[in-house]
Order: sequence, then structure tokens, then C-alpha cells
Amino acid sequence: MVEFLQFLVPGILIGGVYALLASGLGLIFGVMRVVNFAQADFMMLAMYLSWALFAGGVGLDPFLAVPAVFFVFLLLGMAVHWLFIRFVIGRRENHDAQVILTIGLGLIFQNLILIKYSSEPRVVAPSYANSGDFIADIFVSRVRLYAFLLSVLVAALVFLFLNRSATGRAIRAASENWEAATYMGVDIDRTNRIAFGVGVALTAVGGSALVTFQSITPFVGLRFVVVMFAAVVLGGLGSVRGAFVGGVLIGIIQSVSQVWTSAAVKNVWVFALFLLILYVRPNGLFGKAQRAI
Amino acid sequence: MRRLVPFIVLVVAVASLNGWLDQRFHVRVLTLAVVWALAGVAWNLMAKAGQISLGHSAFVGIGAYGFTILLRGGGTSPWIGMAIGMGVAAVVALVIGLPTFRLRGFYFTLATISFPLIMELLVSHYGDPELTVPYHPESEWRFMEFSDPHTYVWVGLGMLVVALVISELIDVTSFGYALRAIRDNEVLARAVGIRTVAWKSAAFMISAALSAAMAVLWVKAVLRVTVAEEVFGITVVIVMLSVAFVGGVGQTWGPVVGAAFLIPLAMFLDDSIGESVPGAQELVYAAALVLVALLIPRGILPAIERGCRWVATRPGRSGEPGGRGFLGRLAVPPQQPSPFLRMSRRRVRPRLPRPSDAPVLEVEGIAKSFGANRVLSDVAFRIDAGRRVGIIGPNGAGKTTLFNIITAHLRADAGRILFKGMKVDRMRAPRRYELGMSRTFQVPQGFHLMSPLDNVVVAAIGASIPHPVAASMAMLERVGLADSALGELSALTTAEIKSLELARAMVSEPELLLLDEPLAGLNEAERARFFTTVDELVTPQTAIVVIEHSVRSLIQYVESVVALDEGRVVVQGPPADVVSDPRVIKAYLGSRWMEHARDQ
Repeated sequence: MVEFLQFLVPGILIGGVYALLASGLGLIFGVMRVVNFAQADFMMLAMYLSWALFAGGVGLDPFLAVPAVFFVFLLLGMAVHWLFIRFVIGRRENHDAQVILTIGLGLIFQNLILIKYSSEPRVVAPSYANSGDFIADIFVSRVRLYAFLLSVLVAALVFLFLNRSATGRAIRAASENWEAATYMGVDIDRTNRIAFGVGVALTAVGGSALVTFQSITPFVGLRFVVVMFAAVVLGGLGSVRGAFVGGVLIGIIQSVSQVWTSAAVKNVWVFALFLLILYVRPNGLFGKAQRAI
Repeated sequence: MRRLVPFIVLVVAVASLNGWLDQRFHVRVLTLAVVWALAGVAWNLMAKAGQISLGHSAFVGIGAYGFTILLRGGGTSPWIGMAIGMGVAAVVALVIGLPTFRLRGFYFTLATISFPLIMELLVSHYGDPELTVPYHPESEWRFMEFSDPHTYVWVGLGMLVVALVISELIDVTSFGYALRAIRDNEVLARAVGIRTVAWKSAAFMISAALSAAMAVLWVKAVLRVTVAEEVFGITVVIVMLSVAFVGGVGQTWGPVVGAAFLIPLAMFLDDSIGESVPGAQELVYAAALVLVALLIPRGILPAIERGCRWVATRPGRSGEPGGRGFLGRLAVPPQQPSPFLRMSRRRVRPRLPRPSDAPVLEVEGIAKSFGANRVLSDVAFRIDAGRRVGIIGPNGAGKTTLFNIITAHLRADAGRILFKGMKVDRMRAPRRYELGMSRTFQVPQGFHLMSPLDNVVVAAIGASIPHPVAASMAMLERVGLADSALGELSALTTAEIKSLELARAMVSEPELLLLDEPLAGLNEAERARFFTTVDELVTPQTAIVVIEHSVRSLIQYVESVVALDEGRVVVQGPPADVVSDPRVIKAYLGSRWMEHARDQ
């Protein structure tokens, strides 16, 4: 039992971070129906930013760097939307263009970082990186706990933003029915830009929560991209709350599967679950059915 | 002849380059260009049906591992290994495809990502992450162990030509029509008898087999060692996507053009600055993807085609259309239906006859809810051969939902449907169409990338009509669209679109015709003519069900009316009785106006 819990607890903790990563992807899909294949590469960029702030002389603790990361990536996301994404939004013919555009952007990010920083893995190790506490016989890593708490805090703030602020309501209205939202005077281009910025920033914050226990390479995003999609699909494409629940579930499955199989194949379970959900409940565990015609 | 020219150009170009180049690096670039063109052609087969797969490295990995394991184990020739790998890949494609094809749009693309990832993890963990390919110099051809690197180019060229021939054959037969129809409008394709899952599975299997074949050549000629991370890796998919999208997605020759551009560019860049700029190759593919997405989302070939057509149709100096000249001749003529289709004499599946005592359609106890919203409850009606029934009811009464259930676009929660006395509840839309059920749509549907003629041809193919093109052309003549048969769909007026919908529905010679608001958007004169046209097309045995808001026009045409309100049949019977029934007036006008209506 203790052994099981020893897998379950870290699973929940890492799941909280996955949830934050996925909620950014879910927000973007929900508002503008764009599946952003570059999302995990924004996460990778944020990890490098955290690393640069920590290792590059400033010595800024990655958890304290979170506000800076958030605002940098909010602006970066809005810029990428303005420069690229807005041209491929909307019509159904644009579906293919969205796929290749975001894949292409992600590749560009990876290779620019590869050119600048090489493929050598980077680590961010603050003084408390290897410490932890025993809570009722279960060892809890301190950095993972902080990462989880940070994710929950940021998720709560986003929830407040989406529900209480005028912009947040406009974003939710657009994700519900963008055509109706335009009739109500919502500026869709602006809403999309902000949503893309916030979505990217959320994933970026998730990335900086990861750096204390995940080494950084230009291609680290590949390991997370399907995890993020799985979480989003599990919770129902386009639902931020669903993406959050999905993320926690994925973390638990990934971790608990190690009771039975090697850690090397833990993602096989995630991918298999992802497929199962796609086949059985393509609208996610909490998603709504759509009309056929 | 026109279709032979690109083949000749390709063979002459590759052959002369292969003869002329002698530096090892240059031959390597040529080999890779051929290998990736082949991979792109394979990938593109799925794109013909509008399906963007990010999982093709699964098949490349199967091909690479398959032949390597066989060669290491029993010294099996790579050619035999290739054949076995192709077979395994095709079977895996079928197993992967059957559940995945139910998913539309993004979901399909997302699902495909995970297959190579799962395979790579399993192979690396439980198998070997890396396998060297044993060296067999004893027989060059038997072990594909060529001492002259030029030979790999010849082999690759041969394989590429075979793949292109397969792709061309798909284009010109009903296979290609089905795939294009699916890409254009999958719901409509199913409504005109295209078995979408079967066609997509066939395309996926061929595509997978060709990908596995490409893998053997790639490993033997270039990699020389089978590495799980490489052959199952995402880069394989990236290059396939790049060459296909740059050249023309879904176009047979697109990947050849794309590979001819991109592969040498990436390789020479890598060769010149690769030392200092490690990701140079990938940046070429990435930049190509971004630029294509923003500038020419359909790729180079369609862009050139559009340019030529513009030159050809631009008014000349004399005011006549057609700047003749060289570009004018290059321009593609209006889309003629494939001549191969004209020759094809498909076996007509005999349509099951209707027992003389059975009504054409009998609907019993149909119920349907969307979530908590009850749309239909206990709906029942029947229609006999040669009769016409109208369905009326206020907006939201469930009329179109009822049609969707009859044609299997939606599944009912309860109740049963008998068509010609047969239970059809478990049959899917294409099967019901084949049996003799045709429909039009409330919002007119069309295959927008096809000519009006091809729109009807697809429906004729779906019904296994023996001479699809001739039958379709005849049908267009009867509805008065012969002159615009080869034009663009977008050039048609609303009335012409409605006529096209009618032609498409009638080409299968249906026994039951379902018309969903056929008069909407038509003017007085067009309305008056519409039902006359219908009567000219149908046989005396055809049963017709019409949903229509224009009750006045409807009751002159039908013999009985079913009135729906809030998902229930309020009343049915002769038109005059139904429209004067107080419950119907109430449903339309609300009780407040009842008194007023009674006074009149």
C-alpha cells in the first residue's frame, strides 16, 4: 500500500504540472479551434528562459521567475498570433495549414535553440533540489511539491480571470460560439490574440515549474507533446477545466504504471489511454456531443 | 498522353543526373531525393482523402525493422523482407485505421501521432534500439548490396515510378473519386453511397505498404543501420509532410516536385554550414512548412495550375477569352471526368426488390434526444410507392432530425425503420443509399472542389450505376444544367444548386426521395417549376417525402401531410384537414392567435 502511495503521490504532483501545461493548449483550442503543435516547444523555450535566468549570472530561483516568464510568454504568444496564427484561423480549408504552420514553428524553435545552446542537457538545481520530507511514510520531493502548488495557484488565477474579468468573459463567449460573440461586439481578433498569449503563457509557466526536476534539451517538447494532447482530449477538447482534470489523471497513470511495468515504457500507458479515450469518448470525459449536420 | 509526360520528364531527369553525377555526396543527395519523393507519394495517398497522418513513421519503422530482423535471422533477401514488411504494414494500417477513421478532422491527426511513439518505446525497451544490417557482398542483387551507389538510384527510380503509377491509377478510377469526395465533404459522401471507411482503409493500407518499401531502400542505400529513434521518429513524418505540402497536398506529382526542391536544398545547406549550424536541414523543412501554410496552403503545383488558368482565361487584346500562347496551352482544360471511368463497367449490385404488399417506408416509435433536449418522441408514419408525403412543423419541431435518422446520419434512441419491408436500423448511410434512398439537404451540400458533373458522377459511382458519366450527364441535361456541367460549383445560382442536388439525388434512380426544404431561397417562378421538374424525373413508383415551410406550395403537391411539433406527430392526414386542424395552427401561431385565426 505504501509502495502504491509512493507512486500515487508523485503522480498527482506531476499531474498538476501536466494540467497547467495542458490547460494552455486547451484554452487555445477552445477559443480558436487551432490545435497548436508548437505548444510543447513554447514550454521548451520557457524552460531555457528559466535556466538562463538561474544559471546566467542572475541566479534567479525558477519559482520566483514565474511572473517574468508569464509576461514574456504572454507577449511572445500574442506576437506569434499576430505574425502567423491569425492568417490560418477560421475556415475549414485552413485546417491543414494550421497543422503544418504550428509544426513548422515548433521545429524552428527547436533548431534555433539547438544552434544557440547545442543539444547538451541543461539542469537547474537550486539548493533544495534534492531535499524532501516524509509525510506519513511517503517521501515527497520538495521541488515537485512546489511545482504542484504553483500549478494549482496559477490555475486558480486563470479560472478567476476567465470568470470574472471582461476579457475573460469575452474569451469564454468566443469559445462557446464565436459567431454569436461577434454579434455581441466581441473583437474576435483581439480575443484570439489574448487567448493565444495566455494559453502560451500558461504552458510556459508549467515549463518553468518543471525545470527543477526535468533536464532541458531543445527536443524536450517531444516528450510532452502527446502527454499534453492526451490530457486535453481526456478532459474534452476545448475545455480548460477538463484539461486540468485530464492532466492530473495522466500524471497518476504515468506514475502508478511503474508499479507494474518499467519506467521506460510509462508513456505507452499514456498513449494507449489517449487512444482509448479518442475511440470511446472523442468528446472527452466531460465533453458535450455535437450535432451531426 | 498528357499523363505520360511527367513520367518521361522524371525518368529522363533522374537518369541523366544519375549518369552525370559522380561525386559520392551528389549521388547521395539524388538517392535521398528519390527516397523522400517515394515517401511523400506514399503519404499523399491518405491526403487525397483529406486525412493528415502524423503516424506514417510507424510503417517506415515496421519496414525497416522487418527486413533487418529477417536478414539477420535467416539471411532472408531484403526483397523478400520488403514484401513481408509491406504486408505487415498494410495489416497494421488496417488495424489502426478501422477505429481511427471514425474520428474526423483533428481527432484523426491526433490519434495517428501516438502509434509510432508507442512502437518506438516498445521496440527500444523490449527489443533492440539499434540493429546493424549485416554485410552480404556475395550477391549484389539478391542482398541489395550494390557496390556502385548509382544502382540504388535506379532501384529507387523504379520504385518511385511504380508508386506514381499506383497513385495515378487511384486518381482516374472510382477509388480516386471516392477519396476526393471524402476529402471534400464526408457527410455528403456517405449520403451518396461512398463507403468512407472502406475506401480510407484501402488507401491507408497501400500508403502504409509503400512507406514500408521505402524504408528498406532508405536503410540499405543511406542509413546502413536500423535505429528505432530514427525510423520511428517524428523527422520521418516532418520530411513526408514537407515534400508533400510544398509540392501539392493530395496531388500525385506534388511530393516529386517538393522533394526535388527541398532535399537538395537541405542537403547542400547541411553540407556547407552543417558544422556550425547543427539544425540547418530541419530549419529548411520547418521554414518550408511555415511559408507554404501562409502563402500557398495547397502547394506549388496547384498554384502553378491556377496561374496558368488565369493566363489562359484572361481576356486577350481582342476581347476574346484565352491569351493563347505557351502558357495558355499549358493551362489545364476544364475538369473532364476521367476517361477510364467511362470505360469501366462496374458490376451493379442488384437492388433488393420490394415485396408488393410492403410500403416503401415505415417509421415506428422514433425517439431522439441531444443530451437533455428531447428532439423526437414516438414519431410514426408510412409512405407507399408512388405517394407523396409532406412534413410540416415550426422550426425546431424535429423535421430535419427525422430525415437524418431515416438516412442513418443520426442514430435513433428508440424505434424502428422499415424500408421496403426490411429492417434497416443497423445499416449505415451508404448502404441505405444503395438500397434506394436518396436525399437533398436543408443547407445545400456539394463537393466544392469538383465540377457539377463530377458531383453527380460520385453519386452514380456510389449507386454502382453502369455508365456513371453518361448517366450523370443525361441527368444534368434533364435538370437543365448541361451547359455548366464542367464549370465551377461556386458559379451556380441557388436555383441551379437545388437542381444539382436533385440531379445528384435522382441519378441513383431512388425508390424513396427525401427533399429537405427544396423551395427555400427560390423565387416564385423557380418554385412553380421545381416540383414539375421532380415529377419529370421520378418514376410512378417513387415515393417522395418533402419537408417544406412554404405550406401553400406543399399542399398543392403532396397527398398527405404529417405535422410535427416539439418532436411529436400532432396530426397526419389529407393536406386540407391537417392545415385547418386547430392543433397545427396553435403549433405555428401560438394559442394567443387562435381566436384571431378562427375568426378568419
